[in-house]
Amino acid sequence: MNVVSRRTFIVAAVAAFVFTAVPATAQVPSGKLVLYTSQPERDASQTVAAFKKTYPGVDVDVFRSGTTEVMGKLAAEFSAGQPKADVLLLADAATMEALKKDGRLLPYPQARLDGFDSGAYDADRTYFGSKLITTGIAVNTAAKNRPASWADLAKPEYKGQIAMPSPLYSGAAAIMLGTMTARPDLGWSYFEKLKAADAVAVRGNGAVVTAVANGEKPYGVLVDFMAFNAKLKGSPIDFIFPAEGNPAVTEPVAILKTTANQPAAKAFIDFILSDEGQKLAVSMGYIPAKATVGMPSWYPAGAKIKLMPTDISKVVETNSANLKRFADLFGN
Amino acid sequence: MSDPIQMIDAGGLRERVEDSALLWSLVLVVAVLSVLPLARLLLEGIAPAGHLSADALLRVLGTSSTWTATQHSLVTAFGGTLLAVVVGTLVALTVSLTDIRGANAFVFCFVAPLLLAAQVVALAWLQVFGPSSTLLKLIGIAPPMGSRNPLYSAGGIILVLGVQYAPLVFLTLRAGLRSLPQELLEAGLAGGAGPMKVVRTIVMPLMTPPLLASVALCFVSCLGNFGIPALLGIPGNYLVLPTLIYQRLAGLGPGVLSEVAVLSVLIGAIAVIGIVSQDLLLRGRDFRTVSASAVARPFELQRWRLPVEVALWTLTALLLVLPLTALVLTSLVPAVGVPLNFESATADNYHFVLLEHAGTRRALRNSFGLSATAAIAIVVIAVPLAYFLVWRRNRLLRLVNLVTEVPYALPGVVLAIAAILVFLKPLPLLGVSLYNTIWIILFCYLARFLVLGLRPIISGYHQLDRTLEEASQIAGARLLRRLVTIIMPLVAPAAAAGALLIFLTAFNELTVSALLWSSGTETLGVVFFSFQQGGDSTYAAALGVLTVMVSFGLMLATLALANRLPRGVLPWRD
Repeated sequence: MNVVSRRTFIVAAVAAFVFTAVPATAQVPSGKLVLYTSQPERDASQTVAAFKKTYPGVDVDVFRSGTTEVMGKLAAEFSAGQPKADVLLLADAATMEALKKDGRLLPYPQARLDGFDSGAYDADRTYFGSKLITTGIAVNTAAKNRPASWADLAKPEYKGQIAMPSPLYSGAAAIMLGTMTARPDLGWSYFEKLKAADAVAVRGNGAVVTAVANGEKPYGVLVDFMAFNAKLKGSPIDFIFPAEGNPAVTEPVAILKTTANQPAAKAFIDFILSDEGQKLAVSMGYIPAKATVGMPSWYPAGAKIKLMPTDISKVVETNSANLKRFADLFGN
Repeated sequence: MSDPIQMIDAGGLRERVEDSALLWSLVLVVAVLSVLPLARLLLEGIAPAGHLSADALLRVLGTSSTWTATQHSLVTAFGGTLLAVVVGTLVALTVSLTDIRGANAFVFCFVAPLLLAAQVVALAWLQVFGPSSTLLKLIGIAPPMGSRNPLYSAGGIILVLGVQYAPLVFLTLRAGLRSLPQELLEAGLAGGAGPMKVVRTIVMPLMTPPLLASVALCFVSCLGNFGIPALLGIPGNYLVLPTLIYQRLAGLGPGVLSEVAVLSVLIGAIAVIGIVSQDLLLRGRDFRTVSASAVARPFELQRWRLPVEVALWTLTALLLVLPLTALVLTSLVPAVGVPLNFESATADNYHFVLLEHAGTRRALRNSFGLSATAAIAIVVIAVPLAYFLVWRRNRLLRLVNLVTEVPYALPGVVLAIAAILVFLKPLPLLGVSLYNTIWIILFCYLARFLVLGLRPIISGYHQLDRTLEEASQIAGARLLRRLVTIIMPLVAPAAAAGALLIFLTAFNELTVSALLWSSGTETLGVVFFSFQQGGDSTYAAALGVLTVMVSFGLMLATLALANRLPRGVLPWRD
């Protein structure tokens, strides 16, 4: 080995050391980050604003729509070969599971998960539940009745009075559909009864909270935080935890494998899972994934919400058949 | 050629080379904007994804949702047109033929809905009805809980379409009524016919061409409208062709591009049938009149004048003031369903959309940039183009003139889908795809609104005395120089009016951008629509009020310019 090549070798070795060592220790995330999310506008804005406070060097662009529409957009971009999103914050684990199966998600084994329940995140560390969002029954405070269970809603006195989110738009509703239709006590016959009672499927939970709050439909199938946030702002709305339990989603966050800005994407995951990020979720009215940071003010003191168990892998399997059957039944 | 002096020397030759270079570049621009996307769409209809096949066609035509949406489109377009024609005709006759006072102010108010964003007008109307109406709650007559907002229906769509497009009928008829020969009316009145009989037997028959033109215009506009059926139809699952195309594409992505292309061709074909049948109905009939003296409002209403004026202003109150008031009231409540009073009233919604929501700020920047760029670029194209169209008529230019109308006449979704087809694959040579960038939206704005700038500029040319231009030509100034130094200053008022019309239309636009936006390139229409779709209708109301204020501000500001403009260039000025 002559002098020149040895020197080249040393330079290369030093360079390799510098370039591999720096990102792990000193690099501050910067540049552009594109977030695709199904969070409501206001929550998405606040999340991004808080993230930017911690990581001022990162510029975040948000695309917001129902989980199903976000997935439509993503599918389009996958087929065009240039997905724009870097990170996803979508309603449910089944959607993430489907993306993972297609090899779209980037594992992030270094994610800090102390204090999180092991059921809250993917064992392969590709997606991480950020919250717990349960679905129950919302009622307008001026409504005549107080349904105590899901079964109650199918009774004749609620005919023509119910709005529910369409699973063709909302990820939480898709999980609800998958969970309820798999249960012997409810099953598809329950949705057939709802249809017979003229329940309408509207575009997403946002449309349900509007319909219930303004009295167009006094009763609605709705996610917890939206009902309580509307109530907090003064809307005439109450939330009921039905006797059979609440179906729930975890609003996972994940990185797309095709991201051009891994440091910023990982920083986003870090932020969402950090105590600060979890507390932010609580302040916006969500039940956090990390229970130790506290609970939202509406959370029933001393009680535990009864959850309806969901078999995620089964929902992934049955989802498209479920959606098609739902579309045929409700016409949208 | 009508050039005054033929110079067969080197300078003349150079002038002619420059002339044709300019002409052919303009023809190329028009071809790229108007012909290319539509040709690409038609190709996709025949040969989806590049293979000659009727599969996509048969699949789409064999789906029941296609025919349901087509039927809904026809019902709402015919219904909306009928309502617009009845209201627009009555108002045009009253304003043009009678001696009512305050016609200018009335015309401004009556035409205004046409220049506001259709989706904002639809939301405003939604706030007038239903158990949630802040307005009805305020006066204590809100319908009981559980009752449906009656506007979520075919009837609701027809009502709002009719209100939105009645000004179109009004404007077209009013232009026709201005050239009504006075002698005929005087002869009718002198012959003992009453005003009603004169209107029925003389005015209306002569108004057949503008009336039919306005019917066709109105039908095509109703058919292509997206904002109104999106807000009023989607919640009740009453889909028309534009909303069906939107839902398919938004939910499933460009994988279904071939299918939505077939749907676009379908709605385009219906629009073309509408336009062509207007031509056929007029063919073979002669509407020429001897003179074109303007009528000085021949009918004196006398003791009926006040009641008629009251009726007209009541109509304005119903069609403009009522929905906008309802919208403002809704923008002031803290959350949906909260009754409005002095304690609950809040500016939080305005605070959120203006200061907290990054998307709105971005959209404001995007919409402003897109509208201003489109307005300026179109003026730059339209001033030389109109020069050729007005002063160098030939067969090619007549064709160019016709072609510029097409992207505006066809429904906006058709152009949007066509643009996706053209720009989805990376551009040749450059290797980048315009899909998912702001440039694809700008392209559509240029194509769609070119004619909005071209028309006022053409009427500006018609008012010009050509001797100045000819003098400078004799003095040796070549075409480009003449255009910049002589013609541009002379047509500047008309160009400014055209630019403003483009700006207003683009600023309020949703149809095209709803299909073409991506993260970072959202327009104001898109943000408004997302708010409404996400259940944040109080934010949507606040944003709607702000865009209405911008529109009104611009319309009022242009009145200052009005004295220097050809008549009829500013639609909101009588």
